[in-house]
Amino acid sequence: MAVGAVTLVGALALAGCGRSDGGGGAGGDQAGEAIDDSPATGELTVWAMGNEGEVLDELVAQFEEENPDVSVEVTAVPWESAHDRIATAIAGGETPDITMLGTTWVGEFAATGAFEPTPEGLVDESAFFEGSWETAVVDDVAYGVPWYVDTRVLYYRTDLAEQAGVEPPTTWEEYTEFTKALQSAGATWGVSLPPGGFDSWQYVTPLAWQQGGDILNDDGTEFTFDTPEWEEAFTYYKSFFDEGIAEPRRLEGGEIEQAFINGEVGAFYSGPFHVSLLLDQGGEEFADKFAVTMVPGADSRTSFTGGGNLAVFEDTDNRDAAWKLVRWLSQPETQISWYKISTDLPSVQAAWDDPTFSEDPYLSVFGEQLQDSKAPPAIPTWAQVSAVIDQELEKTTRGETTPADAIATIQQQAQSIGTGN
Amino acid sequence: MTAVATSAPPRSAPPSPAMRRRARRMTLTAWLFALPFVVLFLVFMAGPIVGSLVMSFTDMTTRDLQTPFQVNIVGIDNYVRLFQDPRFLRSLLNTFTFVVVAVPLTMALALAVALALDKGIRRFRTVYRVGFYTPVVTSIVAIAIVWRFILQPDGLLNGFLALLGIQGPDWLQSTTWALPSLIAMAVWRNIGTLMVIFLAALQGVPREHHEAAMVDGANAWQRFWNITIPAMRPAILFSAVITGIGFLQFFEEPFVMTRGGPLDSTLSAAMYTFQQFGFGNYAYASAASYVLFLAIVVLALIQFRLLGRKED
Repeated sequence: MAVGAVTLVGALALAGCGRSDGGGGAGGDQAGEAIDDSPATGELTVWAMGNEGEVLDELVAQFEEENPDVSVEVTAVPWESAHDRIATAIAGGETPDITMLGTTWVGEFAATGAFEPTPEGLVDESAFFEGSWETAVVDDVAYGVPWYVDTRVLYYRTDLAEQAGVEPPTTWEEYTEFTKALQSAGATWGVSLPPGGFDSWQYVTPLAWQQGGDILNDDGTEFTFDTPEWEEAFTYYKSFFDEGIAEPRRLEGGEIEQAFINGEVGAFYSGPFHVSLLLDQGGEEFADKFAVTMVPGADSRTSFTGGGNLAVFEDTDNRDAAWKLVRWLSQPETQISWYKISTDLPSVQAAWDDPTFSEDPYLSVFGEQLQDSKAPPAIPTWAQVSAVIDQELEKTTRGETTPADAIATIQQQAQSIGTGN
Repeated sequence: MTAVATSAPPRSAPPSPAMRRRARRMTLTAWLFALPFVVLFLVFMAGPIVGSLVMSFTDMTTRDLQTPFQVNIVGIDNYVRLFQDPRFLRSLLNTFTFVVVAVPLTMALALAVALALDKGIRRFRTVYRVGFYTPVVTSIVAIAIVWRFILQPDGLLNGFLALLGIQGPDWLQSTTWALPSLIAMAVWRNIGTLMVIFLAALQGVPREHHEAAMVDGANAWQRFWNITIPAMRPAILFSAVITGIGFLQFFEEPFVMTRGGPLDSTLSAAMYTFQQFGFGNYAYASAASYVLFLAIVVLALIQFRLLGRKED
């Protein structure tokens, strides 16, 4: 009987209030009032994931020192459950003051209306890398700021390249030749690329960007997968498998380092964390055997950028202090000390002038690559759309469909999924 | 069999008002005692279940997290869309294949192992029991690592096949072999539970029946088929139902080993639902899980029909 009552109430409530504005809460949001320069006070809770969650305490200790009346509590959230926990917190109205976010989640959560738009004048938009600032922007409104960045560059074996007498590639033609040359110098596979599966879109999308293609049209209303740029990107990606340059097998984390160190794989794409992994696992002498270089390109040498953003919840009880902490975390000096604690790369360009980055043979390449890096659009449905790219890319590399059919399918499915706005 | 069933209560005079009052008070007291359970059940079990059922008829997604009641009712749209999605149909087919192959296989192997441990093996019996049961209590993460070693292209299995002169495939990344590999893994993981149940059931088979049959000249096979199996029928039904329910919700193996790939060849219905929840399509995912729920009900009914008591 009581169950019946619950159903009835639920049904009535549902029937009573349909969706009023036809869209999410995003779009119409106005930024709140500006944040002053007085010291922060009160209590703050911050959620951070993975390694960041473990070491953020160390950094905010400095903030607490500068602002004696504030106390910041950092909660470490595992990456695997972070997305669900944020969703649950929003649904239950039990949000922290600030959370770290994967860059691709911004669109989805901003649509719930749970985030406060970044106050006017809090940070200088142009201080950030352009591609990474865009990850915080949904429908022309910025929610929070990019905190750290991550971009992909090409790792390659310098010893094999030298042996084959080739220079690191800058164009697609050189790239194909380069990877073939690495094979002739002894690598079983010229380059390692995932033939499909989770997140393989991150490898093929830059190829479309490099020719001037994009995911959405200029006003962000329509998907543009059925364009020559995308077809060419798929065709080029597939060629590595057809010509036997890339192994038609996905190397999981842990396998790739070994394959690269023992010379089975001549080159691969990855983010900055692989530098220290390779130096650790390959030993001292391996440092002379590999280098990083900007990704080869066509019209541009655009790479994929990701990373972590910071967002402040609408429900925060301590709005001013929350934004002050966010502002402090986006200062170049803070970001440099943060790199030393966490090895996260600064999202603020000015931080890169520091010798820590500009004089490091690896990091300087990442800094250069970040000038030409792009992120997928911050739309709520991106996870779903990108999963379709993953599937169709796998069908293409396995020869079950043609690039032309693949992009047609992606376009059609993406349209039925929609941009979520 | 249960002959002491409800016989009609003796006819008596209508109860007096005092008796009626007492009865009412007792009912009230009973409900009061049951209250903690009833409240917990309504809040934590019935509520979410009914809620998700209602949700499956709406268009709820992540954007409605803060305002869950401001969604539109879309009727059976989600269900219609599900059956138009080739990936969902594929996931149903995969799940069906998995259940149809893996349930009988697990039961047959578990029964064989139980028989061997009950009758055949005398030495190191405990070692074998522990050995067969260990996979059940081992974390799926550890199992995934071990099975990766076994199934990778230059892994244990292919190394063994190479000794026989066979070039083994890349098990987990082949559209043909990925699902059979996961079936093998799931069977291996679940033999232990059923083995324990079957061992207990075997010990409950009346010795006298076997002796009587032996006197009548029945051989071992005839005794197994006509005495042991019928005596174990309740245990077999129970195992079929729990394994069936567990395998219909087949999720952990593809989640840790293949993420549903390659090309959706190991995408199970539960995995599909999980992905949709991950995309924030809550209503659609609820609908998918209710389809799976219905499938479980149907499977359980079929099993009760086929394996339940025959005599009535």
